Amino acid sequence: MLRLHGIVGDRRDHALHHRLHHLEHHDAIEFLFVPEADLGRRRLRALTDRGTECAVSLDRDDALYDGAVLFIDDDRAVVVRAGAPRELRLRPQGTEGALKLGFLAGHLHWRVRFEGTDLCVVLDGAAADYTARIAPLLDDGIVTVVGNAN
Amino acid sequence: MNAPALSPATPAKTAPAARVGIGGPVGSGKTALVERLIAAFAARKVDLAVITNDLVTHEDAERVRRSGLIDPARVSAVEAGACPHTVIREDPTLNIEAADDLERRFPGVELILIESGGDNLASTFSRDLTDFWIFVIDVAGGDDIPRKRGPGVLKCDLLVINKADLAPHVGVDLDGMIAEARRVRAGRPVIVTNCRRSEGIDAVADHLEREVLFRT
Repeated sequence: MLRLHGIVGDRRDHALHHRLHHLEHHDAIEFLFVPEADLGRRRLRALTDRGTECAVSLDRDDALYDGAVLFIDDDRAVVVRAGAPRELRLRPQGTEGALKLGFLAGHLHWRVRFEGTDLCVVLDGAAADYTARIAPLLDDGIVTVVGNAN
Repeated sequence: MNAPALSPATPAKTAPAARVGIGGPVGSGKTALVERLIAAFAARKVDLAVITNDLVTHEDAERVRRSGLIDPARVSAVEAGACPHTVIREDPTLNIEAADDLERRFPGVELILIESGGDNLASTFSRDLTDFWIFVIDVAGGDDIPRKRGPGVLKCDLLVINKADLAPHVGVDLDGMIAEARRVRAGRPVIVTNCRRSEGIDAVADHLEREVLFRT
């Protein structure tokens, strides 16, 4: 369990942004999704999208917000995302679609989980930004967007 | 997706005391739960203080002070003077000041229990005041309470159904009431207690130790 007290800073802060960008390239940023209704909490125990258990406490005059960096070192960072995780569910058709989609998802450092033969991508931006990266696969019909893109 | 190797947990800086609200209808057993939790946390060596809210008296505070379970100086009273929810939700300033005062007077206090005055099913706590809040209902109030989907029942972090021992005497289907509570709360925690016999108290204390004090 990571016991975290206080907010290190905003992910948009210039100094933090550089370090986060570096960690992003090493696939070492973990997101702690906090429902909007829970952003007012000053104590929170929850799992990051990578499964790390975090026990978060804040001073009374502090509050969680989207982009709050709760932890950062040379190996990883924990960043708050407000709201429930948004996912894009992709379904490859056949071996060719699966191989190409898997290659691109890994190459693009997408956060994914597998559900049956579907690839569920945890979104950190607009869904269109993701589908644009695999447009040729979608155009060829070897990958389709199914279900719960939101 | 490959998770990075875990680095050792970072040591916590000093965190302020956790503030836990306890609300619920009149007579549901809020004060009894507070009394039982005081004993449970004393046994667990948790540094504790209590705030009680009453309409126009300090009756609940005096009851807790006289219990012999806690240093009376660690029990503060807030007089709501109006609907109890006004001082735990709309303007919790009086309770925030009372909690701040306890933290100043007792440095190192880990947990402050804030008992609301008895209210109705719409009673909820402000996040400005509490980190976590419990809503207490009792079987004698009727097994249809969860089905009525009051905000207190739905939104609390932990729902306690008290006076379980009375169920057969008041014609309540306890199992059905628990199932209904879990259904309307979409699986969020529900614990059944009988505060008079301290049944279920350890489960509540365990839950708070884990979710609020981060001890386990």
